[in-house]
Amino acid sequence: MVDLARVQKELQECNRDVEVSGIRVSPKADSLTNLVGTIPGPLGTPYEGGTFKIDITLPDGYPFEPPKMRFATKVWHPNISSQSGAICLDILKDQWSPALTLKTALLSVQALLSAPEPDDPQDAVVAQQYIREQNTFVNTARYWTEAFAKTSSLGVEEKVQKLVEMGFPEDIVRSTLEAVGGDENLALEKLCSA
Amino acid sequence: MEISDNVKKLMEDGSEDHDDSLEKISEAFICCVCLDLLYKPVVLACGHISCFWCVHKSMSDLRESHCPICRHPYYHFPTICQMLHFLLLKMYPVTYRRREIQILEDEKELGCFSPQFNGPVCTPQSEQELNNVDSSQRSEISSLDLSNDPSCSSNGVVLFNGEQLQSGLTGQENLRTSMGGIEATNTIVDHGDKLHHRSANGACQTISVDDALCTLCNRLIYRPVVLNCGHAYCESCIVVQPNETLKCQKCQSAHPGQAPKVCLDFDNFLEEQFPVDYALRRSAFQLNPSCSQQDSATTCSSEATNDNSHLLTSSGDNPLSWWGDHKIHIGAGCDSCGMYPIIGDRYRCKDCVEEIGYDLCGDCYNTRSKLPGRFNQQHTPEHKFEIMRPNSIRNIMSRLLRGQLGDPSAAPSVSSDDVSENPANVVLSVSDDAQETAESGFATPDETEEDQSNHQ
Repeated sequence: MVDLARVQKELQECNRDVEVSGIRVSPKADSLTNLVGTIPGPLGTPYEGGTFKIDITLPDGYPFEPPKMRFATKVWHPNISSQSGAICLDILKDQWSPALTLKTALLSVQALLSAPEPDDPQDAVVAQQYIREQNTFVNTARYWTEAFAKTSSLGVEEKVQKLVEMGFPEDIVRSTLEAVGGDENLALEKLCSA
Repeated sequence: MEISDNVKKLMEDGSEDHDDSLEKISEAFICCVCLDLLYKPVVLACGHISCFWCVHKSMSDLRESHCPICRHPYYHFPTICQMLHFLLLKMYPVTYRRREIQILEDEKELGCFSPQFNGPVCTPQSEQELNNVDSSQRSEISSLDLSNDPSCSSNGVVLFNGEQLQSGLTGQENLRTSMGGIEATNTIVDHGDKLHHRSANGACQTISVDDALCTLCNRLIYRPVVLNCGHAYCESCIVVQPNETLKCQKCQSAHPGQAPKVCLDFDNFLEEQFPVDYALRRSAFQLNPSCSQQDSATTCSSEATNDNSHLLTSSGDNPLSWWGDHKIHIGAGCDSCGMYPIIGDRYRCKDCVEEIGYDLCGDCYNTRSKLPGRFNQQHTPEHKFEIMRPNSIRNIMSRLLRGQLGDPSAAPSVSSDDVSENPANVVLSVSDDAQETAESGFATPDETEEDQSNHQ
């Protein structure tokens, strides 16, 4: 049984200083066990300027078991699968501690973006490229950031309008947008699957 | 079930109108695991505090556990620090009560209970209250309140309140709501008014130096350390002789490993809470540094060797060579010293009916500990024990790897001392162990083979 009281506290705590950390966690739907985290790409890296979405699933044993995290945004990084978004990070596995939180875990993921560990790769192709062709790696990573991690600068109203123009009813568009934290791609995905 | 429903309602009420939000809880007393007010606090050897259940759930049943904050390794589940428990109860009566109700609900679901404490002074007032509880419950309470009956635990709540009133600590408006809560539990209906009335007369809300005294020197605790038994001392009051195990001066139980580290969160809190007394203690300490001479001896010694020395001597096995060790009792902890998992001999009580059982490690069995169980088991000294075989996939695998499985002489055998001490109780069956049933399928053929060889 997930400790929901703790998850709720974590969300409050995390969203209190979004301005400073840039890290956001919000529930995907009504359930508190499926969440979406967003981290800004660290400055001075090929990921700068991007906003990366991470799918979070809390196992029954949380916080005594690590949360399951996966990049929902495609990212080019030696320790992140370019296919599935799986993350290779010790604190999300055997080095997890119940004193860590979703926010601290996301901070660690963000730190991983700035400091790849090619010796312990998740994606062998990316790791090889990182070791052998640094320049190509940086260019590819930057391109992926541009292509997948740049959020459109549209305001909420514009997003609503855009989605309504696609043929969805306005009230549903608004509630869906809110549920996914204002991300139009996620909202579209949800609207299409609903 | 009427009670539990009411408790649930109470819990919801409490969380909805946030009547405990008036209590400003010090950062020092927020549990790092549940992020709520510490409930039944346990202090680890590294000085970090967490709730009883948070520590227990964080522990590994396979190997040494690590502090959630600093990852300091430890083998023993420490006893609840009663000083902190009563301190928190006094400072944050409403929040602490909410936590109690919440945890009790979880415990009922789990079927396993944390230890209950009576107030440090059982006053006539609270005794009188007890007399009005129906007799079956009263008898449970008088047997040191070790019952796992949920209704008994709600009486514990009343006791706490009685204790607060006696010390003149309540008087908060908030208590009115909690009094209403007691009425709702239907346990003691006619006492709500009385308590209510008294609480209106209650005066100060703050804690005093008397609530944080060193077990040994009886002064305000300075740089507190908490031993495995839960008793708190000043760092300077702990004396460790080289090559000797540290023993609690109060309960005489041995503290495993080296001297615990200062509980800094608690220390900082005391400095803020009692600036004058704390400064006095510090200056006295600085004037007379000789009493701290043992500090250097305890803190500078090499950690790795010291940490494990007690285990090496007690079990004769090196706990770190997991593959070579055939005496790890996965999922079983000692109810006396808290070693978890038990390494070495393990004795299980045959008479305790609680599902979690009552186990002792070899050392504690030999010293015939009379402590009650860690989970409120109603263990008494008259209960009989049986020795348990370590029984796990890991053990079997390790022996398979070493090619010992077919060789009975290599199997871990019960030492002759143990057998002679309690010959009637040596039972080699393991099938009744709930925690190990999953593995018994693997173990049975092996065990029967050993049984035969041992009985020959």
